[in-house]
Parts: sequence; structure tokens; C-alpha cells
Amino acid sequence: MKRTMTRTRLSLTTALIAAPFAASAEGQLSLYNWGDYINPAVLEAFTEETGIEVTMDTYGSNEEMLAKIQAGATGYDIVFPSVHMHDIMFQLGLLAKTDIGSAEGFDNIDPQFIRAKTDPEAEYCLPYAWGNVGIVYNKDLAGDIKGWEDFFALGEAGQKITLLDDLRETIGIGLIMNGNSVNSTDPAEVEAAADYVISHLDGVTAFTYDSVPQVISGDVAAAHWYVGANLFVSENPDTIGYIIPEEGATIYQEDICVLESAPNKENAIKFMKFYLKPEIAALNVEQQMNGTPNVPAQAMIPEAIATNLTIYPEQEVMDKLQIFEDLGRDLQLYNSEWTRIKTAQ
Amino acid sequence: MSLARRKFLQLLGLLGGPTLFLLVFFFGPLLIMVVYSFLTPGLYGGVDWIFSHLNYGRILGWADTRYEKFDPVFLSIFGRSLRLAALTVITSLLISYPAAFWISRMTPGRRDFAIFLVTLPFFVSLIVRLFAWVLILRPTGFLNQGLMGVGLTAQPIEFLYTDFAVILGMTYVFIPFMFLPLYGSIEKLDIAQIEASADLGATRFQTFRKVVLPATMPGIIGGAIITFIPALGNFIVPSVLGGAKVLMIGNLIEQQFLSARNWPFGSALAMLVMTAVLVLLVVQLRLARHGEH
Repeated sequence: MKRTMTRTRLSLTTALIAAPFAASAEGQLSLYNWGDYINPAVLEAFTEETGIEVTMDTYGSNEEMLAKIQAGATGYDIVFPSVHMHDIMFQLGLLAKTDIGSAEGFDNIDPQFIRAKTDPEAEYCLPYAWGNVGIVYNKDLAGDIKGWEDFFALGEAGQKITLLDDLRETIGIGLIMNGNSVNSTDPAEVEAAADYVISHLDGVTAFTYDSVPQVISGDVAAAHWYVGANLFVSENPDTIGYIIPEEGATIYQEDICVLESAPNKENAIKFMKFYLKPEIAALNVEQQMNGTPNVPAQAMIPEAIATNLTIYPEQEVMDKLQIFEDLGRDLQLYNSEWTRIKTAQ
Repeated sequence: MSLARRKFLQLLGLLGGPTLFLLVFFFGPLLIMVVYSFLTPGLYGGVDWIFSHLNYGRILGWADTRYEKFDPVFLSIFGRSLRLAALTVITSLLISYPAAFWISRMTPGRRDFAIFLVTLPFFVSLIVRLFAWVLILRPTGFLNQGLMGVGLTAQPIEFLYTDFAVILGMTYVFIPFMFLPLYGSIEKLDIAQIEASADLGATRFQTFRKVVLPATMPGIIGGAIITFIPALGNFIVPSVLGGAKVLMIGNLIEQQFLSARNWPFGSALAMLVMTAVLVLLVVQLRLARHGEH
């Protein structure tokens, strides 16, 4: 899974090489984040205010990050797990207590975004950003599409579409279309969801994250992608558009967490407190074009973003969005079906 | 100190380092994989220390539980990987063999430059080079624009996200691996033998088959092995150029470790690849021995 721009597997290598050498001296902070998931200006502002040097490595999925941390990658202070991964990492004892929930300025955070079941008082992590996963489409090729049905109809009509290379997101479409929960652990439901995807694979040219440039160039008519596509929509408003599918979609949220193994815990907590400032959260949204749980920040973000219903949807739409929960062992049900989907063509 | 003892110490000094290196960095990880492949997946990655043969059962046919079910798809993915890797070997051999001949007959200065050019791609990140191929192959890419521009095709041809793109990409990546061993044995080829063969009345084809081919066979086998092994386990090319639809065994293994949190099954799949590679190496050894007699 990835959030805004082109994922690169370079991250894998740089992370492996860089992690052991990350400095633990004072005045350092080492972030391990999704690719292009923070406005660099935020990091610059932090360095300017505190003098702390920030370094960052990137990952492409929660599981990749977890596997790396479990395999013993040290030297990172802060990670940005999704809510279900926040729960998992807590259970594995990988997170450090920060008491951010009682920090000054935490009342800026809308309480509905303190989602992690294992961290109801935000004693560990700070809600960072949220958004939805929908469809980015080429206006000339796809016309005025409304949802998943239109999306797959494009494929049947001989147009090209792409799906995300993410097992839960993609099987999630099948679950949504069959009226089931995206957190289903019923083998029959998961299988039916995979069958839905398999029967709509006409026109699916790839499972990829690298789709937006292809939608812009017209190589692909529409792509399963993140709300971050709005960044590209704002640059090419006549060419492409982004929608939240009317049948429903998934929502994601990441939290800022400090690792138990963090060499610079104090600096990491300083960063969390820094990020509580509404103007900083707003600065991030300005470039990332996603949702912030910081209430006063919402009044500071550019009008175009605040009024964009695909970024800040109405409650009626919000109610149709489902968030992923950790499935434990039952993830293996999805694993098998995912292999079936990928070899169906 | 007796002579035997001194010899032993000498050998120990020479071989001790490499042996230790192999033990720690090759057999160590291998042993971990073997052990993991017989364990139960941990809830959040890693392993639980409970014996299980079902990881192999899923591949080979006896597993039937809620999470571990036999599926012939795993063997068919393996079969596809073998086929794509073999095709990669053949195409890179067909390109590298004449190229190595040509380069070995150049003047020394130009020859060094040509070899430098062959290794030049190593200086640029693989990912960057593969994304360059995406730009070339996609429907609005350079290749289709060119073909349509000169009027050869009316519609863009599907190059990207096909088996063709994967084989092309892997051939492109592995050509230097094939070229260098080939070049080594072709350069050593004695021109006098070819001339003698021609003088004795052999046709060009006979000379090639009976003189040139046997003399360069070690290079061909070496290049083929060193290309086949990484091609078999490759997951970046199928993921970038195959659109993750041309699933190879490497992608499946990556999926187990990085998105499905099933390390034991990933280890079992890796053992499958390892077995195939070992069989291949044994065959090569046999072939090499056969060649000596």
C-alpha cells in the first residue's frame, strides 16, 4: 500500500543499508515513513525550530515496515503505522509510551480519530492523517464514472484499468460489492469477494501503485488509487478526476508512533508535540491533500482542499467508508485468494 | 614441525577464512530457512516453534486445513518461473554469443571500451532502468509512438505488462551475467583451430558445431547457470514490467514475507527454488566432468 506518489523499492535497500548506521547522537531524529507521506517543509520547520537533524527512510506497506522492525532493524525513532498495525505493534511490545494524549495541545485532536483499540487514551501514538481509497480516472477515456460498477464496466468495454497491488484493498472491493465487511473472516465471503474480482479482471492490465502517470497520459482509463490523487488532479484538472465510489470504499488512517527501540526518544516526543500545532498539521495537508484529525488545522488549510468532498466527505459518505482491522491468523485466507486472483488471467 | 603439519596449517590459513565465511553467510541463513519451513507462522510474522509439514503440503498436495490448503497454483507458478527463466537464458545467450565473438575480435582499445559498455548498466539503479523500460513499452511510449510514426502499426501494441515484457526486462538485466563468462571462453578460442578445421575441409557449420561450440561450452554453461539462477528468483522485473500479473515464484515468496506474514510458507517456497538450483548445479558438475573425459 502506498499513499501519494510513485513507490520505489529502493526504499527497501536504503532502509537495510542505512538503518544500522543511523546516528544515535543528540540532535538526531530518524523517521521511517511511507514514501512521500510527509511534506518536507514540515521536517524543515522542525529542524529550524529545534536544531534537530531529521533523516528519513521509506517503506511501501505496513507489513514491510513490521517485517523490517521485527527482523531487528534499529536506529529508527518514529514510524507511521496504519491503525490496525498500531494495534499489532502495541501487542508485540514494539511501541514506546509517550503520554502524548496528555500533552499540551492534544485537545486539538478530534477524539473520533483515536481509533486504535489498544491505545484508547493515546498514551502511545498520535493520530496523523487519514484518507480514502477510491478511483482516479481519465476524463476523456472514462467519462463521468460514479463507482466500482462503472469502473469495471470500462474494463469490459475494452478500456484499460489497474488495481492496487495490495491484497486487502483489492479483495476489499469484492467484499464491498458483495455487501460484506472488509474485515470478513468468513472463508466463503472472502472466496466470493475474490471471485467477484476475478470475474471483473477484463481490462485490468496490472496490479500496481504506479498508475497515476498512466491515467494522465491516457495509457489507462481509470485506476484504483488513494485520495492523494487529488494532488495530481489539482495539477491536471481538465484531464483527470478522483471519486469515492458510490458503492463504498475503504478509509485509512496512520498514527505517529515512537518505537521502543528508538535511540532518540526525547526528540521523537518533541516531534509529536511539534506536530500537534495546527499550523504544522495544516502545512502538511497543504502538500499531502489528505485529512487531518487536528480540528483547528482544518480552518487553516486552503479553501480548495477544505471544500473538496473527496478529501473531507459528507457524513453520509463517511458512513459508507470502512477501515481495515487486524485479522490475525485469518489474513491467511486473503493470502491464498490473492494468489488465485493474481494467476487468474 | 613436520611437513604434513606445516602443509595442514598452510591449507588452514588459506581455506579457513573462506570456509568460515561460507558457513556463516551461506549455510547459516540456509539452515534458518530449512528450519523455518517446518514451523508454524507466527501471528504477526516470524515463526511459532511448532512443527508443521503443511507448508510443503500446500505445495505438494496433502494439506487441507482452514489456512493451509493444497493448491496446484503454486506448482504452476513455479513451472512458469522455470519457463520464463529458461527463455531469458536462451534470449540472452542468442544476443551475447555473437556479441562476445565480435568484441573479442576488436582491437584491444575498442575491446576494453566495448566491455566497459556491457557493464555500464550496473552503474545505474536497476529500478530506474526498469522504469525507463515502462516509458519505452507503454501504449503511449517511445516504442509504440515510433512504430505508429513510421506507419508499421495503426494501434498501440500491448508490450507492457505481458510475458514478453518480463522476458525482455530480464534479458536486459542479465545480459552482462551471460556475456562475461561467454567472453572469457570465446576470447581464449584459438583461431588456428578454426583455420585448421577449415583447411581440413569442414564446412562453416561443421567447424562451428565440432570446434567452436565444444571449446566455448564451459562459457555457455557457466553463463546459463549464472543467468538462470537469479532469473528464476527474480521478483522486481515481473512486478514492474509484468504488472504483478505475471506472477513468478520470487513474487510469491516476497508476498509471504512482506504482505502475508507467513514466513514458514515463504521459506518452504524458497526451499523449492533452492532444490531446483541444486539439481541444476549437480547436472552442470556432471556435464563439466563429462567434458573433461
